[in-house]
Order: sequence, then C-alpha cells, then structure tokens
Amino acid sequence: MKRIRKLWGWLALLVVGVTLIGTGWATHQAAVARAVPHRTKILFWHEMTGPAQQELLRLVQGFNRSQTTYQVVPEFEGNYNEAVQKVIDTHGTTASPAVFQSMDISTSQLAHTGNITPVQKYIDEDHYDLKQIAPGARAFYANRGVQLSMPFNTSQPVLYYNATLLKKYHITPPPVAPTYQDITRVATQLTDRSHHKVQGMTVEIYGWLFEQFLANSGEELANQHDGHTGTPTEVNFTSPGALTAMHWIQTNLQRGIFVNYGAGANAQSNETASFLSGRLGMFLQSSALIGQLTTGNPDRLGISDYPHPVGKRANGVAIGGASLWLSNDKSAHVQRGAWDFIKYLMTAKSQAAWQVATGYLALNQRSAQTPALRALFRKLPATRVPGNQLRATAPNQTNSGIFLQGLIQERNLTQTAMEQIYQGADPRRALSTAQRAMTSYVQNNNRANGYQK
Amino acid sequence: MEMTHKPFPSPTKAKSVAKERPRGFNGHRHDKYVAAAFLGPSLVVLGIFVFYPMLKTLYLSLFLTNNVGRPTVFVGLKNYGTLLASSAYRASFQATLIYVFSVVVLTLTVGVLLAQAAVQKLAGIRWFRTIFSATMGVSVSVAAIFWLFIFSPSVGLLDQLAASLHLPVINWLTTPGWAMVAIIVSTVWMNLGFTFLILFGALQMVPTTLYDAAAVEGASPRYQFLHVTLPMISPTLFFTATVTLIGAFKSFGLIDLMTAGGPNNATNLMVYQVYRDAFLTGNYGQASAESMILAVVIAGLTWVQFKFLEKRVTYE
Amino acid sequence: MMQINNRHLIWRYLGLGLLALLILGPFILGVWTSLLPTAEIAKGALIGGPVSLANYGAAVHQTAILRYLLNSLVIATLTTIAQVLLCSLGAYAFVFLTFKGREALFYVILATMMLPFEAEVIPNFATARQFNLLNHYAILVLPFLTSAFGIFMLRQAFRQIPGELKEAADIEGLNPWQFYWHVVLPYARISLVTLAAYSFLGSWNQYLWPMLTTFSDRFRPVQDGLRQLQSQETFNNWGMIQASAVIVVLPTLIVLFVGQHFFKTGLNQGATKS
Repeated sequence: MKRIRKLWGWLALLVVGVTLIGTGWATHQAAVARAVPHRTKILFWHEMTGPAQQELLRLVQGFNRSQTTYQVVPEFEGNYNEAVQKVIDTHGTTASPAVFQSMDISTSQLAHTGNITPVQKYIDEDHYDLKQIAPGARAFYANRGVQLSMPFNTSQPVLYYNATLLKKYHITPPPVAPTYQDITRVATQLTDRSHHKVQGMTVEIYGWLFEQFLANSGEELANQHDGHTGTPTEVNFTSPGALTAMHWIQTNLQRGIFVNYGAGANAQSNETASFLSGRLGMFLQSSALIGQLTTGNPDRLGISDYPHPVGKRANGVAIGGASLWLSNDKSAHVQRGAWDFIKYLMTAKSQAAWQVATGYLALNQRSAQTPALRALFRKLPATRVPGNQLRATAPNQTNSGIFLQGLIQERNLTQTAMEQIYQGADPRRALSTAQRAMTSYVQNNNRANGYQK
Repeated sequence: MEMTHKPFPSPTKAKSVAKERPRGFNGHRHDKYVAAAFLGPSLVVLGIFVFYPMLKTLYLSLFLTNNVGRPTVFVGLKNYGTLLASSAYRASFQATLIYVFSVVVLTLTVGVLLAQAAVQKLAGIRWFRTIFSATMGVSVSVAAIFWLFIFSPSVGLLDQLAASLHLPVINWLTTPGWAMVAIIVSTVWMNLGFTFLILFGALQMVPTTLYDAAAVEGASPRYQFLHVTLPMISPTLFFTATVTLIGAFKSFGLIDLMTAGGPNNATNLMVYQVYRDAFLTGNYGQASAESMILAVVIAGLTWVQFKFLEKRVTYE
Repeated sequence: MMQINNRHLIWRYLGLGLLALLILGPFILGVWTSLLPTAEIAKGALIGGPVSLANYGAAVHQTAILRYLLNSLVIATLTTIAQVLLCSLGAYAFVFLTFKGREALFYVILATMMLPFEAEVIPNFATARQFNLLNHYAILVLPFLTSAFGIFMLRQAFRQIPGELKEAADIEGLNPWQFYWHVVLPYARISLVTLAAYSFLGSWNQYLWPMLTTFSDRFRPVQDGLRQLQSQETFNNWGMIQASAVIVVLPTLIVLFVGQHFFKTGLNQGATKS
C-alpha cells in the first residue's frame, strides 16, 4: 500500500513538472507558432532543411511583417517524397495547407488530382508580370499555356570538386562541360596521388541523378516524349545513356576511386561532411548545396556542369527543386493571401537573398542587379556555373522534366536498381527489373484513373 | 490485502437501492442491459478501429486505386498475384523472416542470460536488476538515435574503434547485410528490458527446493539449467517468444529512422513496405493487399505458435 | 547455496559488469555525446574536448522538444485513463454478468489481439480524414480508448475476486455500478495500476500512427518529434540530437524505476496465465 502511494506521489510530481515546463514553453512559443487573432491564418507546408529552412523562415517573417491581413504559418513536412502524398491525403480537411511546396516530379500528379487552383488565375487577375520569372523554370510547371504552380527553389545538378586539393596534388581540374572520362581521370589522380587519403568521387544513389544521366544523353525515360505529347504507357530505364552511366560508376567503384555513400538524407549529409573535411574530392549533387559548401569551408570550391558521355554533346539537364501550389479547398480570401505570399517570395529582393543563402537559383530576372547577388558573384565566381548551365540549355523534350504520374515510384525503383549496381549487380539486369515494375505500375495507374483500358 | 476504501455503501442507502431493483436471479434479467452499457464503449471502439478497417482493407485490396486514393477498378486477386510474382516483395518477406527470427532468438537468449545473472544472491545485485530492466523505458526513436550514432560512418563509435584498432571500417548502414545486423542489434537491445523483467520474475518463482534436490544428486549447473530451470520457465519463455515475435513483425520506427528500408531494400520489412506503397506512392490497393498478407501472417503465427507450444510447455 | 570463494566472486561481478555495460553502453554514449560540441563529434574527438550543457539549451530553445513532450503527456494520460476505465468495465461484464453470447463475444474481443493495427492504417486514416480529425489530439487517442489486452488482463484479475463478495453485494442490493466502483476496482487495484503503466508506455511509444496523422508541432508527439528533428538536420547536429533523445528518455526511465514493482507483478500475471 505504501508503495502505491509513493508511486502516485512520484507520478503526480512528474506530471506537474512536465506540464509546467510544457505550458511554459507553449506560451513562450505561441507568438511565433500560431496565428495572431485578427489575422487570417495561411498554412504553408514546406520541405526545406538546414540553411534553406532558416532562410525560408526569415522570408516568411518578412512577409508577415510586410502586411497586417495575413499570418503565414510554416510547417516542415519531411522530405519531398512524404509531402506529396500528405498533401493529397489531407485535401478537404482542416489539416490541409493553403499553400505548399512540392517537388518538380509531382507536377503531373498534382495537376491531375483536381485539388489545386492554378496560379494562372491570380496572374491574370493581378496582371502579374510573369516574364520577370526565368522562362526555363516557369515552363517546367506550366501545361498548355496555364501556369499551374510557381517555380520556387530551383537547382541544377552539378559537379562539385575541391579545387584546393586538386591544386595541392597538381591535378588539372575537370573542364566546364566534363565527360565521364574527364571525371575518371581526376578521381584516379586524386586517389593515387593522395595515397588513398582522399576518396576520388561519389554519386549519391538518387533517382534524380539517374534521370539527369538520361537527360544529358538526350534520351527519353518515358514514352510519348517523356509525357510531353500524351500520357506515357511505358518507361525505358535501359537505354544506352543509362547503361553507359551505370557502367561508368560501377567500373570506378571496382577501381577503388569511387566511394558509395548510399541513399537518402543520411547519404547526402555524410558525403557533404566528407567533402568539407577534405576526405572526398568530387561529387555530383544539386546546386542548392552551394550555400552549405561555401560557408566555413577553408578550401576553394570548384563547380562544373553535369557530366555527359564521351563522344556526345551534352544535351543539358532538367531543373530540379520544387514549386509553390495553391490548394483549392480554402476560402477565396485565404487563397488570395497565399498568392500574395507567393508574390512576396518571388520578388527580386527575396529571390536574391534566397540564392545567396542557399544556392538555389534566383528566378527573378531582376535579382541579378541586386547588390546581394552581385556581391556573391564577385566573391565566388564559381556560383555562376549553375545559372550559366541553365541558360546554355536549349529546352527540348528530354531535358524539360518527365510528365508522368507516379515518378516517386520511378525514383524508388531506379534507386533500388542503382543500389544493386553499386553492390556489383549487372546494370542491364537490375535496370530491366526496375523497368518492368515501373511499366506495370504506370499501366495500373492509367487504368485506375481511366486514361487507358 | 487491506482495503482503504469502504467496500460497501452505507446500509440505508443500499436498502433504498434494493427496493428499486429486483435481487438475485431476477437481477440477471437485466444483465444484458448492464453488459451493453459496460461493454458498449469498448465494442464501438474496436468495431470502428479494428473490425471495420480489417474488412475495408480486404475490400480495398481487390481494387486499383486512383490518384486521390479511391478504389476505381475491380481487379479481384490481381494485387496479390502481382505481389507474389514480385521479387522485391518476396525479398521483403524474406528479410522480415530473417529479422524476426534473429530478433526472437537473440532476445530470448540474452534475456535468459541476464535473468540468470540477476537471480544470483550477491551484494548489490539490486542495482544490476535495475540496470538490466532499463531499456524498457527507452522508446523506439530514442533507441534509434542512440544506435544510429553508434553505427554512423566516420563519427560513430564502431567506426572509430575499428579505425583505432586498424580493422577494416564497415559501412554499417549502407551495406545490405550489415544494415540488417544493425537493426537487429538495436531491436534486441530495445527488447531486453521487457524480456528481462518477465524472465527474471519467472526464475524467481522457481522453488529453490528443486535446485537443492538436484544439487544433492550431484547434477551439474548445466544439467540443472536444462532440466530444472528451462522446464520451469517454459510457459514464460513461450509468452515472451510470442510477444517478441509479434512485436518484431510490426517493427517500423527503428527501420524508418535508421535505414528507411534501405540499402537496396535489405531492411524493407513488411510494415515499412505497406507505409511506402500507401503513404509515399499512394498505391492503396497494393498496400492493402500487403496489409492483408501481414495480418494473416501475424494472426496465423500467433495461433499456430500458441497451439503448438501449448502442448509442449510444462504447466505446474 | 554453495560456498563461494573470492575468485568466483570476482568472476561473477565481472560477468554482471559486462552485461551491465552492454545495456548501459548506448545510454552512456548518448549522454556523453550530448555534452560535447557537435564540431568535436564531427571530428571524431569523443574524449578530451570541452563538456557543457549547451546542446540542451539549444534543444530547448531552437526546437519544439518541450512541446512534443507536452503533447505526448496529454495523449498518453488521456489514453491511460480511458483504457483503465473501458477495459475494467468490459472485464467486469465478462466476469460478473451473464448474458447470451458472452463466451463468443469474449473470443471475438480476444481475436482483435491477433489483428495488427499496423495492417489497418489505410482505412483508419480514411476514417480520421472523413471525420476531419487529422492533426488533432482526438485522433491520437480515439483508436486506443480500449484494448483487448487490457480487457483480457483485467478479466483474469477480476476472476480472483472471491464469489462471496459478489453474493454479499447482491444481498446488500448493490447495483452493478456500485459493486464495480466500490468493490471490484479497489480489489484489483494492483492490476489496474499495471494496466495504466502499460497503457501509458504504449501510448508514449506510438510512432507510426501519429506520424501519419499529425502535421504540425502543435500535436506531434515526442517520438515523431525526434524524427522531425533528425530529418531537419542537414549537417547531422549530433550533439543537439543526442541531447533531445536524452530529454525524451528521462521521463519514461523515471516512471519505470519508480513503478518497477508493478511492471514485474503485472507482467508475470500475464505471462503465467496466458
């Protein structure tokens, strides 16, 4: 009996203690996290992490201070893959966002759900000058002349190298538009001359990078010209461009000049950490990493275009990143507020600050004239590379994204195939398996949505 | 046991109640209304959140679902056929079996070891008993974070130890086999507190007279363990095995935090596969078929194991 | 017991010590790294660096960790109260009331123990969505208001109550609620506390369901809060993450050590009687 009383005593103490801490914190945070009473709450879902999240929150604060009608409430919703389905699953409930960030490859799917208000509606109402937004990025999120969503964080896949290390070991840096062979050379020299202290290179196991190998080789991943001329009914993961790239990686792995960091968020933070500490020489990644790779990095950062196969011209890569969408399950007033917020994020000043802090490209054409961006280009000329790569790309059907629903599945499957290839599996076999699974998925999906019998 | 509450209300009050309500046998006539009132809430909750969803899952598993999750095309058992034909799904099933089996065996073995160590009569043994039960207070995400650090490349403890001893550095979470080892080890560690508490309790209940008798006959400690201890705690071992088995089949949190099903789907266990197909790619029909398979496996195993072991355990 | 000489004793303590290290190792490492600056951890310098509570300050100020704790506390407390109440009412019906189909109904409830909640998340999510309960405490509590395990466990406990008590109560003319409230509950107090402890821990450890149904820090419980912290860190900020994990593990460890006795009793009742 005594023990019981003692127990309840402890429990009560614990409950009271934690409650006090908790409520104390809750009241402290209330001002930041919750909507102010006389303002309309605009729920905003995003998937930004690290420095990009910090900058985005700063921009949100800026918007909230800039007017008194709306209060944008940001919520981090995990990675890109998780967020798409969350948006679809919550549509029509009070939990759903008014404005949300969703990745490039979800465009076709979101457009088809009928859950969104195309930003075109407000562009027309406000006579918003769409021309100020970079055409390459804008086209990616438009369909038949209607702007579905607003491109926001836009990046290009690029090759990063540690210029200081290359100089130290007397290695000629890779050219601006390198071939696979160029990269192999640098990786081999780095590994050999540093006596394996520096790992030559890596390519994260990431479906996005796989897609870019195809894009830069000028090959289609889905039929109907990557979905630009109709609903795709099958996919092709085993084109020469895909096989060449995978063989290239596998050979370099076997030679010991390539390190496998795996897949997922951990892989990216691990390869970044290794690169910053001078243990990794080169890697392919989003230009959005520039911010992280330049702050506090004692070594000079080198940037080149995404590599292409030997003997072929680079076809150019598609943009990556995400755009901002409006949900149609909110009142007109809320949607208007969400649109005002989007406009705020797209101003020349916001976009310049965004590029400086993150490495995502400033999409407002007038950002280039802002002092912030000019200072950045002066200080780190290499940061011009991704923008130049985007401008140098002549848009065609293989480098403007894939208009196919279920691309998350495509990424899962190609990533699995990449993992198998990195572990030594035959590229053609691994990719054929993934291709069959994806084609069957596409056909089922077409049937379920009534596009195809 | 003493009661602090007065067990009965005052007689006068009781009498007034008695007048209104028929007693004894007659009282049973009303039992069904009382039972309805007492059991009703539980039945409603179980009905809405356990029985209905099971039927609904079965229903959904027979359809293709469109991009907003509605079942649109009836396909019969095709979703199941697709799964059985898919090498990826078979691999997921196989990985689950390997994981579950290893977790159950290791948890029980180490659990018995801990319990045996803790029944010794030594000074300060209470401290060890408390320590051995500690992981029961560890939730899944805490366990995942602790172990994630241990297994993490370059900064993690294991890689640092390996480097300082000039052993080859293992990429724990990015090599298929080792990633499986990593999540098994983490799961077993997390299970140990609970397992220890039960097994320790069971060992304490074994009458010391049995050991004394065995000792008189000159039985070795090994013989005592195999012929006295094990038979005596076998009902408890059976209970623990079942609980651990079912828990392992349902594993999700550790996988999600440590490996996200990778590398190369090596740790893509059944529940994780359901999550992926339903909540990442919106393929609800297929995910429902996977859920049904999972449910049948768990229900079946629980039942079979129960029936099978029931006959073999010794009840005193 | 046989006589133990000193050398044996050393070996025994050594064995115990090794086992204790196996269990405590990850805790110690977690607590230790939570005291180190992340820069030191990243360099792999786990010893010799400066030690401070800075990571705890960062966790409390920069993250919503305390809010997560509060959410978990609310959810677990509500779940616990509801489970103890509904399970005991249900168990009462199975032990003290006679009605048609009692046995069959009991087996139906037992059968729910075989149906894994993990396999039912798709329709349950749809239900939550339909009733607009997503991202709210309600949906984190409602599915767990009762449990087949709880009913089963309390039924076992209530069966230990002597038949004379029931007869006496009938003679006294107690109605079922009075008998339940004034006799049964106090009698089975230990089992109730055990069930409460289980419900609390079970709710506290929920991971998948809250992950699917919460979308903001206002309602996100602590397990998913840690997931949230981990996925937001692009530069594995190990020091702060470990500090958050330690903050999260402390309350349950305290509950465990204080309530150890009850866990043992309850567990062994469940184990020997199943």
